[in-house]
Amino acid sequence: MIDEEMVDYRTVPTVCPYCGAGCGMLLEVCSGEVIGVLPMKGHPSSKGSLCAKGWSSPEFLKSSNRLAKAILREEGEEKEVSLESALGLVVENLNRVLEKYGPEAVGFISSARCTNEENYLLEKFARTFAKTNNIDHCARL
Amino acid sequence: MTNSIGEISRASLLLVVGSNTTENHTVISGKIIEAVRNGAELIIIDPRKIQLSQISSMHLRNKPGTDVALLCAMMKLIIDEKLHDENFIGERTEGFEELKASLGNCTSAWASEVSGIPVSEIEKAARLFAGAENASIIYCLGATEHVSGTDIVRTLANLSMLTGNVGKPSSGVNPLRGQNNVQGACDMGALPNSLPGYVNVSDDEGRKEFEDLWGIKIPESPGLTVPEMIEQALAGRMHFMFIMGENTVLSEPNSQKVIEALKNIEFLVVEDIMKTDTTDLADIAIPAACWAEKEGTFTSTERRVQHVGKAVEPPGDAKSDLEILVRLAGIAGAEGFDFKNSREVFSEITKVVPAYAGINYERIGTKGIQWPCSSPEHEGTVFLHEKKFTRGKGRFQPVKYRPPAEVPDNEFPYVLMTGRNAFQYHTGTMTRNSPSLEREAMYPYVEINPSDAQKESVKGGDMVTISTRRGQIRLRARVTDAVCEGQIFIPFHYREAPANILTSEELDPEVKIPELKVCAAKIKRGQSRGVRSCNNTFLNSF
Amino acid sequence: MSVKEEAKNLLGKGMDGVLFYQMKDGSAIPHLFTSKDIDEMPDVREIPDSERYPLSDILSKLLMRFSSAKFGIVARGCDERAIIELEKHQQIDTSRVSLIGFACSPELAKICSCSKPYTESLADEMNEAQEISRGIESVERMSTPARLGFWLSNFSVCVKCMGCRNICPLCFCKECSLQDEDLVESGVLPPSIPTFHLLRAIDMAGRCVMCGLCEEACPAGIPLRTLYGKVSEIVREELGYVPGTRGVKSPLEELGSSVGSDDDLKS
Repeated sequence: MIDEEMVDYRTVPTVCPYCGAGCGMLLEVCSGEVIGVLPMKGHPSSKGSLCAKGWSSPEFLKSSNRLAKAILREEGEEKEVSLESALGLVVENLNRVLEKYGPEAVGFISSARCTNEENYLLEKFARTFAKTNNIDHCARL
Repeated sequence: MTNSIGEISRASLLLVVGSNTTENHTVISGKIIEAVRNGAELIIIDPRKIQLSQISSMHLRNKPGTDVALLCAMMKLIIDEKLHDENFIGERTEGFEELKASLGNCTSAWASEVSGIPVSEIEKAARLFAGAENASIIYCLGATEHVSGTDIVRTLANLSMLTGNVGKPSSGVNPLRGQNNVQGACDMGALPNSLPGYVNVSDDEGRKEFEDLWGIKIPESPGLTVPEMIEQALAGRMHFMFIMGENTVLSEPNSQKVIEALKNIEFLVVEDIMKTDTTDLADIAIPAACWAEKEGTFTSTERRVQHVGKAVEPPGDAKSDLEILVRLAGIAGAEGFDFKNSREVFSEITKVVPAYAGINYERIGTKGIQWPCSSPEHEGTVFLHEKKFTRGKGRFQPVKYRPPAEVPDNEFPYVLMTGRNAFQYHTGTMTRNSPSLEREAMYPYVEINPSDAQKESVKGGDMVTISTRRGQIRLRARVTDAVCEGQIFIPFHYREAPANILTSEELDPEVKIPELKVCAAKIKRGQSRGVRSCNNTFLNSF
Repeated sequence: MSVKEEAKNLLGKGMDGVLFYQMKDGSAIPHLFTSKDIDEMPDVREIPDSERYPLSDILSKLLMRFSSAKFGIVARGCDERAIIELEKHQQIDTSRVSLIGFACSPELAKICSCSKPYTESLADEMNEAQEISRGIESVERMSTPARLGFWLSNFSVCVKCMGCRNICPLCFCKECSLQDEDLVESGVLPPSIPTFHLLRAIDMAGRCVMCGLCEEACPAGIPLRTLYGKVSEIVREELGYVPGTRGVKSPLEELGSSVGSDDDLKS
């Protein structure tokens, strides 16, 4: 018997991140890493099928193009900053623009890729904090 | 969708309009294949040959942007031959006489002239549709990405009501949503004119409820859509923009204009899971967790609210958009954002969106619940409008055919259509970083009909330059009869040859959907400089 | 003794985990039980017939990832056959595996057209294996042109999701002939007819244990069980080999492997 902490395998039920069909899938997880995907057999509409995109969905998780740090761009120069200071700058600039130009000069683009909860929060933030209805997402594309 | 995915396989007729279902909604196309195996008739309206064409009863390859003409002629024939469902029309609808009057001139001969489909085919399709026990309409962006996008949706609804194909299993009007949570984003009110649950911002009573709940006054005039925000930014009137998880540069029409507009914004914030052409323009780019790294819910095209499970931790400093927004609101001192997790946010959603009222994470489980679900006892809704329409009686809305905004001429003789292919998705943020998909569809290409290829002296694999009034891109030619003569098709996934440099930003006047499926283009054969040479085209265009 | 008690015994005897299904909100999902959560292991009767997963393939992955760990597995007849066949291909080291067997419901056995819906350990208790039909007869009764048409029309709706390959417990190759550009053109739908499907059928000869997971995963509903069933029938009749049985390796595996020493093959 080897160290118990090391041996683990579980599957996490979730939904495919691609189109709107909403096929059920299981992510296979081993030691904090996604090692594969399986179609969810008991899903009411996809019934154990996935498309080529669904089957390969774990592949982009570890892409070298993942954004892992907040990036500040000043005068053409990029530099990594902490998430906290990035968010601070966002608020500072939002407040400055709101004060100087008013709520018509700010816009929020939400995402059909994000969860309901996230869409709700961004919509609520735009309307209650920035006091603008300039909130949309790419529903038309 | 008014109906559910599972019902498709039991339909006796399927009308598929502007949806390459196999490539874009593969698992749903499986249900269509199953229906055909069970004996269903399949009618496809699409200028392009698609995989489903092989098993269809009829494929009407009409000229792009002429769906409304075709469908109006079908309706006229159905009424003229008294094939419409009088009982359903009498009990459940209003405005039939207006519809009938509006179709007066929509003869099959006229529609044939407009669409290029023979009269006999139009009439055959109409009779098949009217004669079907359960006719289900499936449509996608090929139908709606036109200046007449709203009209086509109304026309499809009219056809469905005319033949009594609403409010029963395996029928209805079923749009396939292209993105995992476009349904949910709309339900949640991430729209300039509507609050969560489709309450219009200009509706005083509805808005008041939100104002009471949120304890703050909400502006009553609708905000700007994405294309309008881009216009405002170009005009120097948009000074702060926050983009959460969208690659606007590649997804919106007329990319060069979008780039100019985004550069013109004083402070641009972009949250994404990857470095994209849009994060490259951001003053601050914020790293976000992807779907496998967070918890929440997505709502599918069949209104099924489903649970997204967190499998692993996000990389580096990346956080879920939810956590980022809660922290942002905390720093800003905004009230009403004191949420510890997605479950708490969902619980607030169920209080403001009546269709979600009876849903909670426990009930969602692994199988989801279809809204509307009004109470904890309500089982969810498999298909809509069973006894009555949301507004009571279904109203026929007469529509007049409008041709596409930009039609071919001598200088730009081809109709350019854009879309997706089976192995890439949208702007490629995820698929182009997935090796097994990228190997299938690595290079941008343009589909050209063999006779046009001959005319332009182009062979398969040649590099060609496609240009429109807005710009040009270089990419490989794929010679195929999947497109008709006079038409070309380009998938828009590729940053090295972004199709949206070419596309027109003519909008549907009502819902502001851009006409991505029709613009005028020309083909110029370029010297084959090898594959990689096209990579810089996009960067050089800045 | 329930499988949970048997699994507990295995953990007590030094196994690191036991692979089976966990019930989560009404769905059965693959899970590795350890001493921490073994009490949550469901009874075999709780697992819905329609929710089978390639447990043998998962076991193979776990054995490779945890190179000194030992695992138990609660297995059906098809899981066991796959494990036996995988061992012959050096994909599973059965000295690190203990198997707890169970029999499928008669209903599932019928749906699967399975001639051995139970593990070897239960063979004595079970009725004599029944003659089975995998739909091969009805296809064979067709005239040759009709049969060709039947297969070509089925291949024409293939969406190249690769689900048949991905879910197959016996598809373990690092390099896949279905991704050989010279054999199957990339990016084209349907994938090359009939090459794509015949390539996979040939790969299944001498390997397919008739679990049927491929057919269940196919969004286009292609009758893959029938296709691979026919291939297996030929291998059985011509070469006398039935995949998933103990003893010799498939004679097809000997093709091209007689050059070089056995040591070369093992390394």
